[in-house]
Amino acid sequence: MFRSLRPFLTIAKTTWLEAIQQPVAFLTALASVVLTLMVPIFQFHHFGEEGRLARDSGLSCLLLGGLVLAVGAAGRSVAREIEGGTAAAAIGKPVSRSVFLVAKWVGIFGVTLFFGVAQTAATLIAERSSSHAVIVGDVPAQMLDVLSLLLALGLVALSLLLAAFFNWALRKRFGVMAFAGLVLSQLLAVAVTEWKNPFVPLNLRVLPAAVLILAVLAVFASLAAALAARFRTGTILAVCTGVLLLGLAGDTLFGTAGAFSLRGIGSGVLPDLQNFWLSDAVARGGRISSGYLLEALLHAAVLCVLFLTAGCLLFRNRDLG
Amino acid sequence: MEEHVIELHAVRKVFRDFWRRPTVVAVDGLNLSVRRGEVFGLLGPNGSGKSTTIKMLLGLLRPTSGDVKLLGAAPTDVSVKARIGYLPELSHLHTFLTPRETLHYYASLFGLSRAEAAERTRELLAMVDLESAADRPVGMFSKGMARRVGLAQALINKPELLILDEPTSGLDPIGTREVKDLIRLLAQGGVTILTTSHLLADTEDICDRVAIMDRGVLLAEGPVADLLRRPDAVRFTLQGVDEAKAEALRSRLETECGGTVRQDYPSMSLETYFLQVVSKERKRDVEKFALAPFLRGEGK
Repeated sequence: MFRSLRPFLTIAKTTWLEAIQQPVAFLTALASVVLTLMVPIFQFHHFGEEGRLARDSGLSCLLLGGLVLAVGAAGRSVAREIEGGTAAAAIGKPVSRSVFLVAKWVGIFGVTLFFGVAQTAATLIAERSSSHAVIVGDVPAQMLDVLSLLLALGLVALSLLLAAFFNWALRKRFGVMAFAGLVLSQLLAVAVTEWKNPFVPLNLRVLPAAVLILAVLAVFASLAAALAARFRTGTILAVCTGVLLLGLAGDTLFGTAGAFSLRGIGSGVLPDLQNFWLSDAVARGGRISSGYLLEALLHAAVLCVLFLTAGCLLFRNRDLG
Repeated sequence: MEEHVIELHAVRKVFRDFWRRPTVVAVDGLNLSVRRGEVFGLLGPNGSGKSTTIKMLLGLLRPTSGDVKLLGAAPTDVSVKARIGYLPELSHLHTFLTPRETLHYYASLFGLSRAEAAERTRELLAMVDLESAADRPVGMFSKGMARRVGLAQALINKPELLILDEPTSGLDPIGTREVKDLIRLLAQGGVTILTTSHLLADTEDICDRVAIMDRGVLLAEGPVADLLRRPDAVRFTLQGVDEAKAEALRSRLETECGGTVRQDYPSMSLETYFLQVVSKERKRDVEKFALAPFLRGEGK
């Protein structure tokens, strides 16, 4: 069983390794995390919604950074490999084209997931640090927890230095070490701030919101991988941007459509981002039911299967080499 | 009846543009078969359709019409590919992987276990003489070194059919000789080999049969010895014959046979001469190195 899975896992792992080492992938992740951690420091007009601003910024960075990562990785790992011949070298071995494409998607989504963990952790820290409750005299007040933010940023810097050291001393891959360091630094920062100040709980309702954004990223990764089976990076980027815009306007375009109308089909096939954007629900204090979460995840899974099937069909008769 | 490992029947490949308009006929009505255990050379100038034929054999390109069979099955059959080794014209390696990782990657594509992959990787790295560079990224390699990695990956699954697209491209004469020796060795072990090359001398050295293609059409096919043999001429090579005796023999042969007798002095190939010079120099280096302690008075 595992033996037959080995080629699939190998291609997925190699894709992950290739994508994570790309300077653009790491720089996107780094910029996104640092920006999220710096938002609380530089927000001046927050009208009492410091936490919400930090949270929305973090989740927006997760969505946009993830899209850049997923679409860029699909272009490099699938489209460029098909043009360059490495895909032909793999498909010349006992690997079917469908296995190759789906494994590529898994690898691409793996990088996005890695980024998602770091970004979600950074969002949790940023939100809590921006609305840190303290007692001033006898009066409770909200204050910026600069120390936690500096700790998280300092750990990012430390992880970069460690990655450089491992690259120099042990010849470890800098890209992989730096990306792994970024993830670990943010998880460590969450743990340390939690341990330092256990009386201000983390807003764990951010987690389901982040999970649904990751589901959208999985859908876009599958769309990008499917398009990469036939088209170049420019086309992939254009189509994904178009789908993103349609998805953002999903409620307006397809909101009240019946299931069997043209608009209904549109609402089923296009990822309606409003369904996956829970930040407003988190802000209003609404309950995020596990039923809704499962339904949305199922919707994303169906979309992934749909796009990947289309990708396999596009790839099936493509001339390689 | 001889078993044919590769069979192409009336194969045609037309490349089309985005609007499905035909742009070039790369292969036109190709009929070809390769028997088990033979070394078969596919020759032709650039753009003759050699690589296209190989890619159709591997299922990377689909023929527009005709029938392609590989080990008795369609080239897209994944189980058939498990029995084939393929070296592409350009090695197409992941530049961020080291040779060791590259070989592990390809071993995993064949479903080899970790232990099997490690064992096979060790053997192949030794075979292609890359043990000392096994942990450097392939992207830092010269073309010849990358070619060696490519060759090693083609052998990772101990294939029964080996398809080599320009196997000696980028290799120095010593590397070329080693690859040619390896091909002969594999053929002796029962591996069927299909190879393409622009270097006709290399093909002549290693192939049992060749086919010559141009503009997608098969022009000639047969055993190398048969194709190159001139049935109307005989050559004698005599040793220890001086100029006067050679002249006497020549005029006698002319009288006997009634035709023109061409007299020349056999020479070795440039490849043989090069290998002799280099190996002599290397042997001298080894001796010098081994004698160095003695020359310095350190030896016993």
